[in-house]
Amino acid sequence: MDESAAENVPLNILVADDSDSDRLILKALLKRLGHQVLDAANGHEAVLHFQEGAPDIVLLDALMPSMDGMEAARQIKRLAGERFVPVIFVTSLSEPEDLAGCLEAGGDGFLSKPYNRLMIKAKINAFNRMRLMHQALSDQRDLTNERNRQLLEEQHVARRVFDNVAHTGCLDAANIRYHASPLSIFSGDVLFASPRPAGGMLIFAGDFTGHGLPAAIGAMPIAESFYGMASKGFDGSDILREINQKLVRILPKDMFCCGVMVEVDFAHNQLGVWNGGLPDIWLIRSNMEQYALPSRHLPLGILSADQFNAEMEAVRSQPGDRLLLMTDGVLECANREGQLFGEQGVRNAIESTSAGSHPFDVLMGSIKQFTGQQKFGDDLTLCCVEMVEETGQATLTEEVGLSTLAGPSQWHCDYEIRDNTLGEFNPLPLLLHICMEVPGLRRKSGEIYTLLSELYNNALEHGVLRLPSDWKYTPAGFDRYYSERTKRLNRVSGHYIRFSFQHDLMPSGGRLRVTCEDSGQGFDFQNHPVLQSIDVAQSGPRYGGRGLALLMRLTESIQFHGEGNQVEVVYDWFF
Amino acid sequence: MADLPHLDEEALAELQDVMEDEFATLIHTYLNDSKERIASLKSAMKHRDADAFAKTAHSFKGSSINIGAPHLGELCRQIEKVGLEERLNDAPTLLSAIEAEFQQVTAALETLMAGSAE
Amino acid sequence: MPIQTRRSHDGQCLIIEIEGRFDFSTHQAFRDAYEHSGAKVSNYIVDLSEATYLDSSALGMLLLLRDHAGGDSAKITIENCNNDVRKILTISNFEQLFTIR
Repeated sequence: MDESAAENVPLNILVADDSDSDRLILKALLKRLGHQVLDAANGHEAVLHFQEGAPDIVLLDALMPSMDGMEAARQIKRLAGERFVPVIFVTSLSEPEDLAGCLEAGGDGFLSKPYNRLMIKAKINAFNRMRLMHQALSDQRDLTNERNRQLLEEQHVARRVFDNVAHTGCLDAANIRYHASPLSIFSGDVLFASPRPAGGMLIFAGDFTGHGLPAAIGAMPIAESFYGMASKGFDGSDILREINQKLVRILPKDMFCCGVMVEVDFAHNQLGVWNGGLPDIWLIRSNMEQYALPSRHLPLGILSADQFNAEMEAVRSQPGDRLLLMTDGVLECANREGQLFGEQGVRNAIESTSAGSHPFDVLMGSIKQFTGQQKFGDDLTLCCVEMVEETGQATLTEEVGLSTLAGPSQWHCDYEIRDNTLGEFNPLPLLLHICMEVPGLRRKSGEIYTLLSELYNNALEHGVLRLPSDWKYTPAGFDRYYSERTKRLNRVSGHYIRFSFQHDLMPSGGRLRVTCEDSGQGFDFQNHPVLQSIDVAQSGPRYGGRGLALLMRLTESIQFHGEGNQVEVVYDWFF
Repeated sequence: MADLPHLDEEALAELQDVMEDEFATLIHTYLNDSKERIASLKSAMKHRDADAFAKTAHSFKGSSINIGAPHLGELCRQIEKVGLEERLNDAPTLLSAIEAEFQQVTAALETLMAGSAE
Repeated sequence: MPIQTRRSHDGQCLIIEIEGRFDFSTHQAFRDAYEHSGAKVSNYIVDLSEATYLDSSALGMLLLLRDHAGGDSAKITIENCNNDVRKILTISNFEQLFTIR
């Protein structure tokens, strides 16, 4: 505090003394020091003047008729409320009990008679410094409170904006259970889920380093990429690559986002998992077998695009299997003794899950029991997704009304990708986009996507990469299938996949003819069991056969040409 | 006690400096108040009201010290003690001393005023 | 001081020792430790033998050091981690960016 500033400011001082001569002297002394003086001859008057004049400092004689100084001090302090108004007793009392009584009544100090000019000046200055400091502190406190209130309000507004971008997607689906605080975004946690155009879902859970606004701002582009790309049919790896690249570009070096991406494929009973820096994901099979899927990657936003590995781990699954993902907040729950719930807590909870209980409930219950609290922190996010039969699952049904624009009705398009691109690029969103220009097809985006992805994956995996589909029948073969897929994709050479589209208008709607040709050796389509009878395909867990059966169900016709490396499907839509 | 002067010249000089034009008003106020206080003391003594006696003595003490009449202030301190200890029987003697001293102080102050007025 | 630095005999290696909690409170001290180390330093050792705890902001600080030391060409070794600290580095797969001993 600036000493000279405190000394030069004229103050408004209330003086109360029943002795006229004493009051005259004090008044003159204070005026000499440059202050303004209000004077009162007794306690009662002093209280009245205090209310009217709002003085900065009060000088009170202790013994006065018609309300003594002590009572006046009490009332003045009460009236002042939170404002600090120094009350100084001017007195010739000297007994300790009397002086103590003055302080108890709210007095802040004493000034003894006879008055001494220097002492008065020093006292007034000292108390004025205290007064200003008190005021600065309470101004600061008020400012802090106001800022805090503003911040909370802004957080709620920001939350609403954020919710529009990062809506909960399909988190409310029947096969998903989750816990996420409404304000978790400000603790750095995000949880998104989106249905995919051809059925199945994508789920992303993330945990930003840092808290508050920076975390929330970083989360926005993740939400946008996730929902935007998921609905267009991009797969988990594509989205992870996009998110990683965006975060590398926008985040400061020391910020990053730990995350988990889960691709849920009900049709093929398959899960795709990517864990970069979050706690182990737990897979709890319907037969209660449990597996931990640990973090195998660096968090998002650290590695450059060419170093980043977005490869998802494929996990075979069955209806009834459950996948549990969580952020650090779960491990960091503390009990009263300050011990952490930790990995062991999660492990114990999951191991204690019995056939009749849901692992989500068991884990939530264990945390509550451990912390002894019913409420969770903002940074605790937990999500459990269950594999279910595909039928009855909500797929992405875009309620798009027929456009006033007719859109293209007579068109043809060829698209071919070759060699390295086969391993690096997913053409499905682009192809879907082309088809979606036709309003009549737009209502059928799920079926079109399924159709395209079955054709493409069949051409890629069985045609180009020559992976035998029967490997997928056994757990060991399943792993082999996917590791071999990755290996072979990396050295593809001299291969292509070519799509050819033809769309024509029909009296009742339109017809889309899609031909998919690959550079592979084809197969003996004359004797393929699925092509003999559709019942065979649906009777067993033939992953390879299911795709074909699906195509047969969706389309008007399916034909194989050449060596079986060329498939032609016809898809009709109606007004 | 005998050492204490009727008037503290130095304190009065300072008061005169601080009060400027109001110095005369101050002295008259003090003298009038003091006359009233002596009357109050007498009345309280007559009614055996030790509390009122002590309070008046206390105020009288304060204003006398402040005005620069230390001897009178000291007498007031003694008489306040008499009031506080409820020894009003000892009061008349002291009260006479106070009246006598007050005469001295009045005379001295009037001389001072006459001097400063010239 | 929770952070001490010293040089190897040839002056090319900067050894940063961290004591106690390695978290946001050590942010400035950690930065100071390597930012004023001069140009001659070619590799770094972060000695965590006295570190009891490490949080995500500490991971961020390690990334800042890595950036300062040349990004992908940085030579940084993280040494003597206790089990808890090691676990955190492992979950985040930081062994892909740093040599952890």
